Amino acid sequence: MGETLDTRWFDPNRLNMLVGLLLFITFLAINIWRARRSPDGLYIRPIAGLKALDEAIGRATEMGRPVLFIPGIGDMSEVGTLAAITISSKVARRVAELGCDLRIPCYDPVVTALIDGTTREAYREANRADAFRPGCVYYVSATQFAYVASVTGTMMRDRPATNIYMGAFYAESLFLAETGNLTGAIQIAGCDQVTQLPFFVCSCDYTLLGEELYAASAYLGREPIQLATIAAQDWAKALAAGMIVLAIILSALGHPWLGRLLKTS
Amino acid sequence: MAAEPNGFWRRVLAIDRRWIFVLIGVGTALPLLFPVNLPVTPSPRVQAAYNAIEAVPEGSLVLMSLDYEPDIMAELQPMSIAVLRHCFRRHLKPIILTLYPAGPRLVEMALAIASEAEGKRNYDDYVFLGYKSGNQAVVLGLGENIKGLFPRDFYGAATDTISLMKRANSFADFPLLINLSGSTIADYYIRIGASRYHRPMILGATAVMATDYYPYLSSGQILGLIGGMKGAAEYERLMGIVGDGRRGMDAQSLVHLIVVILVLLGNAALFATGGLKRRVGGGA
Amino acid sequence: MRFGPLVVTFLTGTTLIAIFFIPHHAAQETQSVILEWADVVYTFALILGSIALWMSHQKKVFQRAEGWFYSAVTLVALTGVTALGVVQGVSGTTLVGQIYDSVNAPLASTMFSLLAFFIASAAFRAFRARNVEATLLLVTAIVMMIGRVSIGEFVWSGFPPLTEWLLDVPNLAAKRAVAIGVGLGAVSTALKIILGIDRSYLGRA
Repeated sequence: MGETLDTRWFDPNRLNMLVGLLLFITFLAINIWRARRSPDGLYIRPIAGLKALDEAIGRATEMGRPVLFIPGIGDMSEVGTLAAITISSKVARRVAELGCDLRIPCYDPVVTALIDGTTREAYREANRADAFRPGCVYYVSATQFAYVASVTGTMMRDRPATNIYMGAFYAESLFLAETGNLTGAIQIAGCDQVTQLPFFVCSCDYTLLGEELYAASAYLGREPIQLATIAAQDWAKALAAGMIVLAIILSALGHPWLGRLLKTS
Repeated sequence: MAAEPNGFWRRVLAIDRRWIFVLIGVGTALPLLFPVNLPVTPSPRVQAAYNAIEAVPEGSLVLMSLDYEPDIMAELQPMSIAVLRHCFRRHLKPIILTLYPAGPRLVEMALAIASEAEGKRNYDDYVFLGYKSGNQAVVLGLGENIKGLFPRDFYGAATDTISLMKRANSFADFPLLINLSGSTIADYYIRIGASRYHRPMILGATAVMATDYYPYLSSGQILGLIGGMKGAAEYERLMGIVGDGRRGMDAQSLVHLIVVILVLLGNAALFATGGLKRRVGGGA
Repeated sequence: MRFGPLVVTFLTGTTLIAIFFIPHHAAQETQSVILEWADVVYTFALILGSIALWMSHQKKVFQRAEGWFYSAVTLVALTGVTALGVVQGVSGTTLVGQIYDSVNAPLASTMFSLLAFFIASAAFRAFRARNVEATLLLVTAIVMMIGRVSIGEFVWSGFPPLTEWLLDVPNLAAKRAVAIGVGLGAVSTALKIILGIDRSYLGRA
């Protein structure tokens, strides 16, 4: 047998993380309460890439060319993919309203099924269920560069006017964005992989950096409760920054206990 | 007809990107055809990875997860061969697996080269368990029951009949974990193998992804980090061998130089054509 | 109202969060089982995806749509390699192994190698000293490009330590800052889904 079986019901090394989680949930509850009490009271700063979405979809409509939405190559365990699904439904709704063509090539079969469902629903919500074209959301391949070959081929052949990259991207980011740049499409990207951000910044017109991707659904939906989650996130970030600064000062003064307390296992 | 002012620089700015592609193609091919063997100095991160293997007692088992497919083999395959050869030289016994469906053939290729070079044999000196789907679930399972996860090795032999596997039950039986990965699988090994089961671990990653793992190095969760082809070349230098890593560094050097020259040319052209002044003045 | 999926999401999410704090072997085994279920679901989805892929390309072939020949190649490759793999296995000595060595490996490597060409053209276009920040980026990029390859230390021995400093200090600081933001954003998104605040994945905004 391997190690002796663990029979503890709580890992004391993770107490700090549990406290952090409970604090976050508290922040969330307070902000939801604030949002319900005063729906217009929460402010979210403008995100240029999301403001440009409407314009980009409008341009595709005017040019009579498709909008290409690429949801990354992450699976459902990646938060970036969840954000991509949410954004895809907002994009699909706008596309349906304006009546242009939408294509969503997918890497993961589970993501394909989900986006297909949300896109149909978005068309229905826009009262354009008849305009939904079965097959506009399609599975390509779960092999990274086979996927790249197919999507870049679509870009070169069909010349979409707008390329939207949202989700988890890895080495394929520059292939896709550079090919899109070559075709002259308006390109909007959002990615939570820090190492891939520079590639998108180089080749796209607008790039959502890191957590802006997660804020996108709240921004696009403008629902007070969704905005409350962004406010809670900001509170948590302010607390984290404060704790880090305090821990550094205390450590410099010879009291490293706060730094140790924040250390995760 | 008078020549257009700054005609050359304007042409530089508007250069067809296919000329850049040609330059990069030639810059890659020439050093591979005519190698000059530029010097390679090991970085502290690669040295630390090397030292971690040096510190493992002879005859110990090491768990190697080689998680990549052919697309990034140029970066990770030379690393796998060098690390395997190091393990074999130190008379360590690697138990190898992959979490990528297209990974087994690459592992077989790396094992063929490394075992032939160091005179080692399957089952006596190493075991290749093959591919298992499930990423995080597999890494969790490795902490509990390896033979349950892999009842047979890649070649079909029952793992409980392989003598090396008799002492390989879970992470606890490995004084070192080695993960060479081009994806987030490395995160699972760090979170589960290194952090939850407290196993010493070294990591190899592509050059782009390597910087993602610097925080784990400074926090001590991984002992060493081999990044990209350069990391592989440094490891080969430490091993005193010349493999694809060192051979590739000449090409990589020349290509980097070409890109730097192109960037400088682009800036000179922007300056000469007044683009810089206009942009700055225009509040770009 | 899609009550069922919301309940499943809530229960699975809260269970997995709880298991994170419970080291008891029973909890850890439960986590493994849940992850195995996810793997099983994925496998079925892969079958579904393959069927969808087949249907879409089959339609193109029957309709003689533009590029139908490539669709035919896809169909032949899909069925041929699958059948060979099932019959012969996938080790190096089999036909699938040989197809892998002589087709899949070179094609995938070639695709990845194209990255060098794209990086060069993107760098040429993007690295322009248009203002102070862009100039800083340009200088850093040049130091990194020279310092990270063998020719760097050949030119000046100070390049490698300078690149190490750039990676260890400014790069790491920025990465950690973004990572903290991404981490909190991920927690927030996960909670939104677990608590049913964000239901867009169910097809409802």
